[in-house]
Amino acid sequence: MSENAARNSSHSEPKRLTAGVLALLVHAVFIAVLIFGLSWKDHPPEGMMVDIWTELPQPVQAPPKQPKPVKPEPQPESPKTEPPKPEPPKPEPPKPEPPKSEPPKPEPSKPEPLKPAPQKPAVTPPVKKPDIAMKQKPEPELVKEAKPDLEEQKKKEQEKIKEQERLKELEKKKALEKQKELETQKELERQKELQKQKEKELAAQRQRDQEAKARQAAEAQRAVEAQQAAARSQVTNEISKYKALILAKIKSRIVMPSDLPGNPAVEFNVTLLPGGDILDVRLARSSGHAVFDSAVERAIFLSKPLPLPPDSSLFNEFRNLNIKVHYRE
Amino acid sequence: MSTTVTQDMSFLHLITSASLLVQLVMLILVMISLASWWFIFRKLFVIRNEIKKTDDFEDIFWRGVDLNALHQRIISPRYDSCSLERIFAAGFGEFNKHPDGTDLEAIMESTRRAMRATYQREMDYLESHLSFLATVGSVSPYIGLLGTVWGIMNSFRSLSSVTQATIAHVAPGIAEALIATAMGLFAAIPAVVAYNRYASRTDQLATRFESFMEEISNILQRRAAA
Repeated sequence: MSENAARNSSHSEPKRLTAGVLALLVHAVFIAVLIFGLSWKDHPPEGMMVDIWTELPQPVQAPPKQPKPVKPEPQPESPKTEPPKPEPPKPEPPKPEPPKSEPPKPEPSKPEPLKPAPQKPAVTPPVKKPDIAMKQKPEPELVKEAKPDLEEQKKKEQEKIKEQERLKELEKKKALEKQKELETQKELERQKELQKQKEKELAAQRQRDQEAKARQAAEAQRAVEAQQAAARSQVTNEISKYKALILAKIKSRIVMPSDLPGNPAVEFNVTLLPGGDILDVRLARSSGHAVFDSAVERAIFLSKPLPLPPDSSLFNEFRNLNIKVHYRE
Repeated sequence: MSTTVTQDMSFLHLITSASLLVQLVMLILVMISLASWWFIFRKLFVIRNEIKKTDDFEDIFWRGVDLNALHQRIISPRYDSCSLERIFAAGFGEFNKHPDGTDLEAIMESTRRAMRATYQREMDYLESHLSFLATVGSVSPYIGLLGTVWGIMNSFRSLSSVTQATIAHVAPGIAEALIATAMGLFAAIPAVVAYNRYASRTDQLATRFESFMEEISNILQRRAAA
């Protein structure tokens, strides 16, 4: 039994150290995950507000224009990109041109076909002449048999000539048809190019118009703003001017009591009616000398109607006036 | 506790800026976690080894080996025996110690007692440290929670000196406090899983040992009667 017990403790644990190493490894992994998992979140919060703000105002101006500008903007690009492209297209026309280089021959031949046309009548008469000759010849045929051979040879030659002429005519017709086809193709291409040019011009015009409109709108806005600013400054000017006038009028009516010490000041809150009548006068801050206070109050009542700006919309600025009068200026 | 609003939220900074108690809790939890993982791996190897050797021994035993030779081999000090082999050795050694004239009942009784004693010891060995895993699994979340509650308490208390409370004043304190809970859970979850798994495994081994004890006592009784 004692042997067994001893064996228990000695043999019992396999891979004890390995277990410890594995435990440390698990924790190392866990800590690494924690450190890197949390450190990820350090960086992102930095904002990009500046970019967003600079971009926002443009869309604000743009939205009314956007529907239209969007189209022109790609178009201006397309003209820009197309100028290079038109060159490639031109190389393409050149491909038709090589045929054109062939057609030019037919083109000079155009006059020729015209000449041949007169020639045709010229040729046909000889054909008819032989007919006449034929009519004439049958008679000689009866007389002379050897001559018909010659005539037959002539006829054959004439026929050959006719066939050749027909062939020529056919060739000419074919050439003409080809020329026509080529011309129609050219015309189509020209028309397409013209259309493209027109479209580009239209797009450019639209763009210009829109830009001009945008400029005009911007200018108008500026003008309006300037006007508003001017109006504001005018308004403030008017208000200050009339306040000065009111104060001057009141001061002119004050009968100053003599020999007051220092430079006392009195404040009145005056409620006005439209038209300059005085509704109410309240003492806001006494000067400390009842004589001076009453003198100023009397002067305020004496000076009614107070001068007010003719613009009635400014009256709100004068409804509740604060009048401060110093004993000595 | 840091009363200043810090932008540095790195893991190490959070731990170093935590209050003393929270740091203490974290230290305890780290040590508990290390110990529990150590035991988890140790028990893993022990139980896996035990099951494998028990399988091998039962395989050999039921093939019909000479019991004396088997006993001699197990007793030899060089041999790396398993629990079931030691139970068998204890029973067979006790059975052979009796002189021939002894009463069969008395022989079988003492044999069974010897095996029972060894079985108890072996089970104790197999189940050692399992209670520690159970304790870690149930307690470490509470320890972590204590650290968290303490940290949050402190971070809110630091708010009292501030007129305008922003989340930036509280966030670092709460974050560092929550690390304690995370550590507690990290220690507890694997401990609970391992405890349940190893407990069921040792139960299985215990039933195997008990049934083997009954069978070996039957065999020895027949052998004595013969």
